Amino acid sequence: MTSTLKGITLKGSAELVAEFFSFGINSILYQRGIYPPETFTRITHYDMSLQLTTDPKLKNYLTNVVSQLKEWLFECTVQKLVLVITCLETSEVLERWQFDIECDKSAKESSAPREKSIKTIQDEIRSVIRQITATITFLPLLETPCAFDLLVYTDKDLLVPDKWEESGPNIINQSEEVRLRSFTTSIHKVNSMVAYKRTDSV
Amino acid sequence: MDLDDDTSVLSTLKSFNSFISLPEHPQRPSDHSATGSGILHNQYKRSMELLEAAEKVQSKNRYLQLDQEKKRMEMSHKRARFELERAVSDNARDLEHEVDRNQDLVGRIKKLEGRETDAAKNLCEQVEASRALRKNLDGLNKKIDERDSRLNTANQTISSMKDEIRELKQQMQNKDSTISAQTLENQELQEQLDLQRRKYQEVSQLCQSLQAAESSCSEHVIKIKELERRLAFQEEDIAIVKTVKLEVARLPDLEKELKRLRDDNAFLRESRENCSLLKEEVEGLRRKLERMEKTKEELVNMELEKERLAEKLKAWENLGQSTGLNIRSESSHTFHLLISCHSVSVRSVERSQAELRAELSQQRSRTMEEQKKREAQDALVRRLQKRILLLTKERDGMRAILESYDSELAPTEYSPQLSKRLREAEDILQKTQNHNAEMEVRVHTYTNSKPQANACARTFFSSSRQKIEDLEAERQRLEEQNNILEMRLERHNLQGDYDPVKTRVLHLKMNPTSVAKQQRQQEVDALREEVTHLRELVRSLQDGGALVHSQDESNLRKQMESSELRNQRLKEVFQRKIQEFRTVCYVLTGYQIDITTENQYRLASVYAEHMDDSLLFKKGSSGSMQLMETEFSKTLGEMVALHLHHQKSIPAFLSAVTLDLFSRQTTL
Repeated sequence: MTSTLKGITLKGSAELVAEFFSFGINSILYQRGIYPPETFTRITHYDMSLQLTTDPKLKNYLTNVVSQLKEWLFECTVQKLVLVITCLETSEVLERWQFDIECDKSAKESSAPREKSIKTIQDEIRSVIRQITATITFLPLLETPCAFDLLVYTDKDLLVPDKWEESGPNIINQSEEVRLRSFTTSIHKVNSMVAYKRTDSV
Repeated sequence: MDLDDDTSVLSTLKSFNSFISLPEHPQRPSDHSATGSGILHNQYKRSMELLEAAEKVQSKNRYLQLDQEKKRMEMSHKRARFELERAVSDNARDLEHEVDRNQDLVGRIKKLEGRETDAAKNLCEQVEASRALRKNLDGLNKKIDERDSRLNTANQTISSMKDEIRELKQQMQNKDSTISAQTLENQELQEQLDLQRRKYQEVSQLCQSLQAAESSCSEHVIKIKELERRLAFQEEDIAIVKTVKLEVARLPDLEKELKRLRDDNAFLRESRENCSLLKEEVEGLRRKLERMEKTKEELVNMELEKERLAEKLKAWENLGQSTGLNIRSESSHTFHLLISCHSVSVRSVERSQAELRAELSQQRSRTMEEQKKREAQDALVRRLQKRILLLTKERDGMRAILESYDSELAPTEYSPQLSKRLREAEDILQKTQNHNAEMEVRVHTYTNSKPQANACARTFFSSSRQKIEDLEAERQRLEEQNNILEMRLERHNLQGDYDPVKTRVLHLKMNPTSVAKQQRQQEVDALREEVTHLRELVRSLQDGGALVHSQDESNLRKQMESSELRNQRLKEVFQRKIQEFRTVCYVLTGYQIDITTENQYRLASVYAEHMDDSLLFKKGSSGSMQLMETEFSKTLGEMVALHLHHQKSIPAFLSAVTLDLFSRQTTL
């Protein structure tokens, strides 16, 4: 798609960002052990090996969310994507992976592609995913069974599609936040950060 | 065909004959005249020709015959062939049939052979089976015999059982009667149960009504509490209202005070201005004072001079007296004139002095101004000199550049442009210099135009400086606040806060967390249902068991009682045995051993002199016994040292103690 063209269009940028989210969410789910490791398979992308789920329900859910997200990225109406990890027994939020999306709206008006090579974007994405993997060292262990949810922060005047509903922000009570790397496609800029519940023993 | 051939043959014969006959006739007459040899030759020739023709005809005939025969033969051949072929085909068909039949037969043979083998096998198997069956039969026969015997015994038992049955039936009948009696009792009991149930229902209804009443009571209590709270709030409101009323009553006074204060403020502001004016007046007056003091001094000087002059006058008057009186009057007149003139002159001098002083002050002020102007001018001059230096340096540099350009470039195209540029730059420079000079002049005029208002300017400057400092401090405070707020905002943004006016948070309805929660809830519900079900089962079992298994319960109770009795008996037995053992130990060893506390043993000797004399032993953690200090053990120090420390034997020690006590007792 955009690999053959020289520049990045709005559509291409939306696809790159959506692809990053798809792989990023999969690797977070694998690293945090939300789903058993045997339900994941190894694939190669961005010149590194990543884990992708084979659970059909989870795959279906992720494709739904990512395809809707691609549309919203194309329309530049999405502000954040948040992956919330909740403990099933106590229903409290333990971890929050937040990705802020800044969209250059001027790319909507002009259809000229921007000059940024796919390779640099992929290098940046690779470093972000490596950093996500490295953060596991200081995150507290998830000992109880957990489930995850994906929240999307959009503009208020957006039409809520079918199967989507409004929800709360699921903010962690007493959290520690860490800002991670960001990457930009020159149309979309994605900042990553993780917030986790402070453990009193630390 | 033969007939045709025959007819053709005959016809040809006929024709031949005719031909033969014909030529002979014409020939004879014609050739009669000819020589006889020639006639014979011709006749011979003709005959030969005829013969040949006849032979030819014959051969033709024969040929034809042969042909016919050949054809016939061929026909017959063909017929024969056809028939043969038919026969052949028939034969072949027959052969094929025969072959098929053969094959069928062969196949059948094979099948039959197979069947034969199978049958043979079956036969063998059947034979074996029959043998086995025979064996079984034999066994079964044996069993049958056994069973027959058993049957006989069973029949006997049956008869006995029948007798028993009869007896049991009699018992049954007895029991039936008892059962009927019991059912009657049961019915009575059930009626009582119904009565009780009805009572229970009434009671439960009463309970429910009670509970409803209690709930209504609690609701009323809650309402009462709410009303009390509201009352309290209202009382507070009343108090607040009263205070507010008081404050409102104070309002007109406050307004009056406000007006008064505002008037005071205005008055004070005016007075401040007046103050400033007054200060200026004061300064002016001070200067006047100075001047006046100076004039006073001069007055004093003048008075001193006056006195001197008066003295001189007196001297002159004395002189006048000494010389004559005329002169005095005149001289006094003249003196008076002179004095008046002097006074006038003094007054004029004074006036001139005052004027001079005023002029002096003015001049002084002017000199101050001039000094200031001069200083300003000096500063200007210095600045201008500096500027001149800079400009001369620039000019030299530009000139050097120009000269360099001129020296480098021969053509005259560049120099006019450069010179134009130079002129323009110089013009601009001059303009800026003029502008600067004008600005400085303006500044100086501004500063010099208000020499009297320097104080005001100073105050204004100081107040403005203070304002500037205040504003700077506020700015810094606001910057710090701004930084703090930005950090808070950043932190909230990291935590995931959002502005509800601009942003909305969405998620899919069927998301893994909700699904997992639903599953969990379902599990919990299922478990709860199971638990309630099991509880009901247990309750039903308990209730049902009580009625049905009353007998078992009584059995269990009896078992329990029996086991308790057994326990009690065992305890008594143990007690007795222990007591026996202890008495025997006491009698044989001479020591009564009691356990005082855990791991502590108290030994009292039979020959003890006092009741309290006892030895205390403690069992250590390693299992070894250690002697503890008691009053009695203190008296046995030697024996302790010998037997326990030296020999390390407790039995020796104990026996030594017994012997010692025994010896003491016997001696006593």
